[in-house]
Amino acid sequence: MKDFENIGREMPYRMPEHFMDDMTERVLAEIRKEQQVQPAVRRKVSPMRYICAAAAGVAAVVMLVAHPFSMNDNAFPDYESISQCDNIDEVFQKMSTDDLGLYSMMSNYYGD
Amino acid sequence: MSEMSVSISDEQIVSRLLDDIHVEEGVRLLMRKYGEPLYWHLRRMVVSHDDAEDALQETMINVYKYRSTYSREYQLSSWLYKIATNEALKLLKQKTSEFQSVDDLGDSLKDSVRSEASPDADEALILLQEAIALLPTKQKLVFNLRYYEEKSYEEIHDILGDSVNTLKTNYHYAANKIKEYITEHSL
Repeated sequence: MKDFENIGREMPYRMPEHFMDDMTERVLAEIRKEQQVQPAVRRKVSPMRYICAAAAGVAAVVMLVAHPFSMNDNAFPDYESISQCDNIDEVFQKMSTDDLGLYSMMSNYYGD
Repeated sequence: MSEMSVSISDEQIVSRLLDDIHVEEGVRLLMRKYGEPLYWHLRRMVVSHDDAEDALQETMINVYKYRSTYSREYQLSSWLYKIATNEALKLLKQKTSEFQSVDDLGDSLKDSVRSEASPDADEALILLQEAIALLPTKQKLVFNLRYYEEKSYEEIHDILGDSVNTLKTNYHYAANKIKEYITEHSL
């Protein structure tokens, strides 16, 4: 059998001229882009916005599932009042234990 | 590798990479010392220059992104080869169809060897690369790291994770298959 050791370690391909210099500049350009993007990604979003969004979502789901035929039931806060989020504690107090359980489950699943 | 690149220590590179102010200098030093060896490692895996180029760029960006996770317990080169190998495998995986594995790409990689070879390339060098292209992925990686990069089995273990005995077996099988292919296809 012929041995590959006699063939050597050279490659039959060529690397284009200035390839490494061009690649270095390209990598650095990508890194600069990453550095610019990072602060925007890390921008802090007010926790109140998350609460408003979660509460609005829960309200919509609960209204459709628990009260499909009584959309005008005044015992449950309407969608508009939740989305305005003037008094989020009041909204949560009006929710039943089951509703709060559902909210807790959704928060765990999607993260806060 | 140029004389200048040899004189750069891994510690110099790592300390700059971990320092936000000097990170660009760290990347430049990294490219100067390891850019070419990593390019050829990738090229031997993916064969085409364009793919090696993409994989090298992704490797370097990942090195930058995950630089804080580098542990000084390992050689810098082992960490770099590990990232580069993952990028090569990721790229090859993208070329497979739903029910194919990277190992099934052997024939198409073998065909690319000849089309990618420079016009004045030695026929024996082309044959050797064709034989390597047909190897199962693990054997190919072990063979390339041992034969071309001249890495010890312990270093290859740090890169690929398999036991030294498994790596030796892989190299043995790879070497035999390559010899058979060359014998069969030589004029």
